[in-house]
Amino acid sequence: MSSTAMKKKVLLMGKSGSGKTSMRSIIFANYIARDTRRLGATIDVEHSHVRFLGNLVLNLWDCGGQDTFMENYFTSQRDNIFRNVEVLIYVFDVESRELEKDMHYYQSCLEAILQNSPDAKVFCLVHKMDLVQEDQRDLIFKEREEDLKRLSRPLACTCFRTSIWDETLYKAWSSIVYQLIPNVQQLETNLRNFAQIIEADEVLLFERATFLVISHYQCKEQRDAHRFEKISNIIKQFKLSCSKLAASFQSMEVRNSNFAAFIDIFTSNTYVMVIMSDPSIPSAATLINIRNARKHFEKLERVDGPKHGLHMRMR
Amino acid sequence: MEDDNRPLLSSEQTESHHLSFCLSPRPFHVEPRNIIGDDPQERVSAEAAILNSRVHYYGRLTGSSDRLLSPPNHVIPRPEEIYVYSPLGMAFKVKGSDDTSKNPSIVTMCICHMEHDDGHAGFTLGILIIVFLGLLMLYCCYVVLKSPKAIPYVDTSDWEFPDVCRYYFGKFGQWSSLVFSMVSLIGAMVVYWVLMSNFLYNTGQFIYNYAHNVNTSDLEYGTNGSEKVICPYPNIEPGGNGSITMSPLFISSVGNETLDSTSFGHWWSKTNTIPLYLIVLLLPLLCFRSASFFARFTFLGTISVIYLIVLVTIKSVRLGFHLEFHWFDTSTFFVPELRLLFPQLTGVLTLAFFIHNCIITLMKSNKNQENNVRDLSVAYLLVGLTYLYVGVLIFASFPSPPLLKDCIEPNFLDNYPSNDVMVFVARTFLLFQMITVYPLLGYLVRVQIMGQVFGNNYPSFFHILALNIVIVGAGVLMAKFYPNIGSIIRFSGATCGLALVFIFPALVHMISKKRQGTLSWPSAVFHSFLILLGLANLVAQFFV
Repeated sequence: MSSTAMKKKVLLMGKSGSGKTSMRSIIFANYIARDTRRLGATIDVEHSHVRFLGNLVLNLWDCGGQDTFMENYFTSQRDNIFRNVEVLIYVFDVESRELEKDMHYYQSCLEAILQNSPDAKVFCLVHKMDLVQEDQRDLIFKEREEDLKRLSRPLACTCFRTSIWDETLYKAWSSIVYQLIPNVQQLETNLRNFAQIIEADEVLLFERATFLVISHYQCKEQRDAHRFEKISNIIKQFKLSCSKLAASFQSMEVRNSNFAAFIDIFTSNTYVMVIMSDPSIPSAATLINIRNARKHFEKLERVDGPKHGLHMRMR
Repeated sequence: MEDDNRPLLSSEQTESHHLSFCLSPRPFHVEPRNIIGDDPQERVSAEAAILNSRVHYYGRLTGSSDRLLSPPNHVIPRPEEIYVYSPLGMAFKVKGSDDTSKNPSIVTMCICHMEHDDGHAGFTLGILIIVFLGLLMLYCCYVVLKSPKAIPYVDTSDWEFPDVCRYYFGKFGQWSSLVFSMVSLIGAMVVYWVLMSNFLYNTGQFIYNYAHNVNTSDLEYGTNGSEKVICPYPNIEPGGNGSITMSPLFISSVGNETLDSTSFGHWWSKTNTIPLYLIVLLLPLLCFRSASFFARFTFLGTISVIYLIVLVTIKSVRLGFHLEFHWFDTSTFFVPELRLLFPQLTGVLTLAFFIHNCIITLMKSNKNQENNVRDLSVAYLLVGLTYLYVGVLIFASFPSPPLLKDCIEPNFLDNYPSNDVMVFVARTFLLFQMITVYPLLGYLVRVQIMGQVFGNNYPSFFHILALNIVIVGAGVLMAKFYPNIGSIIRFSGATCGLALVFIFPALVHMISKKRQGTLSWPSAVFHSFLILLGLANLVAQFFV
């Protein structure tokens, strides 16, 4: 049974210029239109909504910055903004020269969260780490993490260091999504069983909107450590091309003499990718297996109560 | 807590970080996609492969000229590690598009006005002045564009020309460049208001005449024949030989709106009521917080320009050429080729070619920065040619034996009768385009004034409302009491041109060259001469 589908929010906040729009564009494969830049003008209020993980809506907000217009809007709309929040993701620019101000804005966001959505999970991303020298990165990140953890009490925050130019962004968001899925350990066990039954080399579970890897099973060591991100990028590019034709991507099969790979819709929030290295197994067999597994995994998702956004979609 | 003064980057990396925004994205690696064997040795490193995947993906997320997601220098592998190859064994380079789009709205406004001033300057002199002033302002624009790069030790990547003035001249430079920039923008907005009142009036008049089948051709003084051209405000020259005699009846009926006596004329008057109707429409639009909605309509400007060019071509083909060359003497119907009223043309042209206050921002989004000079020259060439084309054609085809060349109105569309369908369409286009550009100009004014005076762009709704009321009030007052767009354009053009085209760029150029120790005497003399020209331009406006 489901109660009324309550949309819960994922707030993506941070100072303007900290990289939120780029981040959202990369993770969710949104085209960035930058026509306002030509007026030499400043920021507009970013209200764009993206849905993921079923019923979670991503809201992107500029926090503070040189626009005190934003501050006034904030204070008057505060309760609206911070109500029904499932996750707060706060982005810090590691190069920022106004650390006091950044922390101040972060704290006021935390206060609002405590008042309006005390159960929300808080994640802090220390972004643009590629601009820091390699040998100093760990040190700087550790310092920031300590400060943030201290400031966030009584809320617990998880910190990640990210940059769009290495794998840290993809990994950080994968971890975030992983923590948002309620029965993820159970999913992983079932996935392993499924993979062993159908004798697959590797099975991946992706989140539908972002193609972030939620969980995976592999039966032997794979060569390329970056393969998840590569596949994600390729499929997102393909989705972008499809959307130009108003078509939507559903499934894909890639086959040659060495392997067969199947990407298909799995549950209402996930995609599955199955890699079979034994090419003699006909596609039909694997597809039937995937179809049967689908029913099983959907039942898994439905078992948990209606508290979390993942379970709002009913057949 | 981290010490704020400690730089996060070493000095070499800082420099490469600056360079990152000048580089255009280039393909540094093409990964072989067909995996046919279990190669024990990787042909490319894992980092390069994944970076290639990212670059390909990020490239799909932004426009081709946007450098937001292109890889900065410190991220791309060293040149020795880069392989570029194609299946055919050839290397290839990706050329991006390098068009900059000039603001079409300013071009439209000034086209309407060009041929009027050709008459004031004399035909030949007019052409020469357009060419000469175009080149002069192109050079000054080039100086403005180069000025941030000549500043050492400072990151000027997001500076505009007022910031450069602040660097050289302190607070005085910043505030004065702001004030002069405002003069040009507010002058343009006032002219827009006058023009919009004019177009709205004529559109309504056309529709009324069409609906009530009113024929006003008898009341308008103009040519006979199929292609009618009228002279709305004929000039009586008492005591001149061969002057046109007209009864006072013509003056009173043509000078004001012809249907003054009817109630429609009373409620639909060009100077009395329409400027006020426009307030209802435009003041709310000015109060919008963001202008991105209106930025989508800039394509209307291009269409309007093209339509005007087509209109002018058709009209002059049908009317034929009426040109006689009298070099210094006056004849009744024609103007001498060289006249002493030419400063009017230079004043207008200073505003017509004026883009110096935002050229740096416009050029920043150019994909190939080394082509900036070429692109700027091409843009000025096209703009100059457009003005020349329209101005020359209208002036040459104006039917002079029955009418005086002096009759050409500042807004050349006024020279056609009010039941001319092509002109009606032109006016409607222009009206719509101006309604969408007006809030953009208001936004620019607001951002610059509020940003400088109050430190942020939207202090409160009442600040914005007060500013908008001032601007709109100026427009309404001008439309009511002094709707002579020619004068408004040339005074505001000469004023802001003096500061932002002639004085500041020349001084900045000379000072930066002096600091580098490369200022030569001819260069100093030439740039001082530029300053004098600017001053002379402004002073001359008061005497013609």
